[in-house]
Amino acid sequence: MIRVEDEGPVRIITLDRAEKRNALTPPMLSRLADAAEDLGSTDSRAVLVRGEGKVFCAGFDLDECRGDTSGEVMRAFMNELSRAIAAMRSAPMPVVLCAHGAAVAGGCALLGGADVVVADPAAKLGYPVVRLGISPAVSAPFLRLGAGDGSCRVRMLDPGLIDGARAAEIGLVHELAEDASSRAREIAASLAAKPRDAVRATKRLLNEISPTITSAQLGLTTSLSLTSGDEAHELLERFWQRKAAT
Amino acid sequence: MSDLATLEHDGAVARLTLNRPDARNAFSIEMLHDLHARLDEFGDGGDAKVVVITGAGKSFAAGMDLKQVVVDESGPELPGQLLASLGRFNLRLRRLPQVTVARVNGAAIGGGCGLACACDIAVSHADAKLGYPEVDLGICPAVVAPILVRKIGAGPARKVLLMGGIMSGEEAYRIGIVDELAPNAGELDALTEDLVGRLAAGGPRALAATKALVNELDGSLDEALVEKAAALSASVLVLDEAQAALKARLK
Repeated sequence: MIRVEDEGPVRIITLDRAEKRNALTPPMLSRLADAAEDLGSTDSRAVLVRGEGKVFCAGFDLDECRGDTSGEVMRAFMNELSRAIAAMRSAPMPVVLCAHGAAVAGGCALLGGADVVVADPAAKLGYPVVRLGISPAVSAPFLRLGAGDGSCRVRMLDPGLIDGARAAEIGLVHELAEDASSRAREIAASLAAKPRDAVRATKRLLNEISPTITSAQLGLTTSLSLTSGDEAHELLERFWQRKAAT
Repeated sequence: MSDLATLEHDGAVARLTLNRPDARNAFSIEMLHDLHARLDEFGDGGDAKVVVITGAGKSFAAGMDLKQVVVDESGPELPGQLLASLGRFNLRLRRLPQVTVARVNGAAIGGGCGLACACDIAVSHADAKLGYPEVDLGICPAVVAPILVRKIGAGPARKVLLMGGIMSGEEAYRIGIVDELAPNAGELDALTEDLVGRLAAGGPRALAATKALVNELDGSLDEALVEKAAALSASVLVLDEAQAALKARLK
């Protein structure tokens, strides 16, 4: 469900589960995190993270958590998500992410790992998870680097979705294009054509100026702390009841 | 019970109203006392998940009560007390486990704009007037500065605080002081209630834990900074320059 290919100097990592709007499972996130960690040992000059089909990613596939009373599956989701975001950010070369159509919840969290995010103006983005008793905190340390603390606070607390155009205004998305996929490919190719050492040194410096390792751990701890409580169980149970009813 | 601030609490939503409409809800020491008292009564808020803060009448909050910061009238101690009280009130809002929403119904000036930014989310309308004209009056906007820097970033905050003046709701939305904007005052309630409905559907533990994390990430709970800022602002406020400007404004 994760495909890794090279197009010349560009490493392309694809969420390949179009029939489920690329909804993430723990093994899928684990593969994604592995693929991102492998970037440290490749000669790729740029990375493109994209989703197959109509949308980038609909978030966690909550069917995976059904019947998981211990919260173990949700913890696996959070741990692997955190590892994937951190690995994308630590990759020595720039990472471009194409958030076409929709990037929701865990899917939107992945934007925090990218250096450049492209979306279409009508794309739906956001973190609608507090109503499931889940905290999107795991992505806050990364979101604040792009969107700033004010918008980070709002987006973390308000479960409403915003469109790509608004996401660009607040800094969650860096470039808008009707055909986001083509534009993201273009940007990855243009980054790959730039002098390798200068680009890598610049990314390394930016990572040092905005350290996220400690705060990433704080975010993860917050999200993990909620996985074993009654609130998440109750609210997830209600979610499945609503789903069954429709 | 003095009612310069009122609190209604019904289930998931509490509403705290600045209630000094004849003075455009300017912060007097008495109103700040009532605001603190309402928060004391609110405690941990029980089953409330959202606190909506708004102003009675046409204004949200028009800044400090100028009469109370003219030393000839108020004495040398009051301005410092007022500023420290406002700073502590903003800090208390950040400490609440509930999500705080500023419903900026009209003018939010100086400390009023600071209050809007101290809330987690600010909603307003295109015709509202917001801003930080402190420097125009010889005042240093120290109490509100750290909150604004967190909200819109250090670069834009520098321009806003040093340039002074007032901006429209539209402009405030563009630079990130306002998070959601209604096209006019008449549509503010629908926008606010939409947001409040979304927030009230959240799990209270998830909301509180998420808020606590963003507080930690952005340094919102730095109490020493709040005290230092209030002292700095008070020290500039009692200088001749500010006092002369304030007296001229009051005439």
